[in-house]
Amino acid sequence: MQKPKPTAAIILLILLVFVVAFAAETLLVKVQTTQLRKGPQFFSQTLAALKAGDRLEKVSENAGWIQVKTTAGVLGWIHSSAVETTKLNLLAMDKNMKTQATASEVALAGKGFNKQVEASYRAKHGEVNFAIVDQMLQLKILPAQIEDFLKKGNLGEFRGAK
Amino acid sequence: MKTTRTFGVFLLLAAMGPFLAGCSVVQKGADILTAQGKMSEKDRDALVKTSEAVRSTFSEINEEEEYYIGRAVAAMILSRYAAYKNDALTQYINTVGNAVAVYSDRPEIYAGWHFLVLDTEEVNALAAPGGMIFITKGLLRRCRDEESLGMVLAHEVGHVCAKHGLQSIKKSRLVDAFKLIGQEAVQRYSPENLAQLTNIFENVLGDIAEQLIERGYDRKYEYQADGLAVKFGAKTGFDPNGIQRFLKTMVGDSSSASGKGWFKTHPTPESRMESLQKTIASLAALPKIEAVRTERFVRYAGSLK
Repeated sequence: MQKPKPTAAIILLILLVFVVAFAAETLLVKVQTTQLRKGPQFFSQTLAALKAGDRLEKVSENAGWIQVKTTAGVLGWIHSSAVETTKLNLLAMDKNMKTQATASEVALAGKGFNKQVEASYRAKHGEVNFAIVDQMLQLKILPAQIEDFLKKGNLGEFRGAK
Repeated sequence: MKTTRTFGVFLLLAAMGPFLAGCSVVQKGADILTAQGKMSEKDRDALVKTSEAVRSTFSEINEEEEYYIGRAVAAMILSRYAAYKNDALTQYINTVGNAVAVYSDRPEIYAGWHFLVLDTEEVNALAAPGGMIFITKGLLRRCRDEESLGMVLAHEVGHVCAKHGLQSIKKSRLVDAFKLIGQEAVQRYSPENLAQLTNIFENVLGDIAEQLIERGYDRKYEYQADGLAVKFGAKTGFDPNGIQRFLKTMVGDSSSASGKGWFKTHPTPESRMESLQKTIASLAALPKIEAVRTERFVRYAGSLK
């Protein structure tokens, strides 16, 4: 039975504080698909295509935009609404912990309210109209189309840029 | 030896505490200690496991789950109302809506923002979670310019950004669902868990449909969405008074059949206009309506049958 050495514990604590403070923060892409952009603007040049579950390393932040590095080493910007960080809540630890999981773990595992739950719901509710929803979701407005719309309407960041 | 390890685990938790850091960081810290032989693999796994936050509220519903809830709510709406078929108009509404979404707090959403016109003369607009938004033909007829349409869509985008739909889910349903979801280690659910989860899913949809379609959101959510509409709309460059011009057409119209859905689910237009006026007056710069936009609105909305 060895007693914990206080000096070793203090060194360990300092070490840990550094590890936590300087460890790069990993972000997960939470939207189906998105783009890595050259600058912190929606209409900035795109550098790479990203998809749900992709891991990114946070570099810096600027007004809702996060500078990140992809696993392939590409540096660019992504809007904060496209990524998620798992929060650790020490106060919430209780006996139920073992049977629960974080939102991103559930998302990564493809669990939660998912395709399988929808299929099971649809089998019970033939009257609910998913076909039109699928059609509705097929129509995608590309960033270039939005940009053209804004420019022609003298809107957004293109105002007064005639 | 056990005391040392327990003490190490305690120390790691203590060090992590002030940072409320991400799980990946806990994993990393624990990995380092394990690699250095300062913590056993078993303790590392236990530590990473206990660092998982408990999901218990609407804000912890993840993006993909919100999408599946939204799809089903949208499907329920489309079982009640037919979609209005007009490809050019649908494309235009989607472009206006997506432009506003770019300047909202949530430009990125799981499967993108989608808008659809419902084939009814009833005046109403509905936002399903996940960014699936509906406006009726009756509402569109009351808009005279792109600013009014843009502002109405900005109000609906505001409901989605503030997750008003998800907030109407009863907390007990989420607690049950999260518990069930957390139990399964595998990706596919067992038949009994799937049946239970489907029942919870039905109840979740029922909670949202009741608020969204039947009773309407809490009045404070409507005012909050109006505030967000002014913020997002003005940032897009739309004259926020566009929403006032639309609301004015609704004043004193509560008895008309066309406004039935709207009046049941929204505060009176007069009270909203009053509150909006204050928000608009507080803007540093007020974008002005422009003819080029009104012209294209008239071109598309003019095709309304």
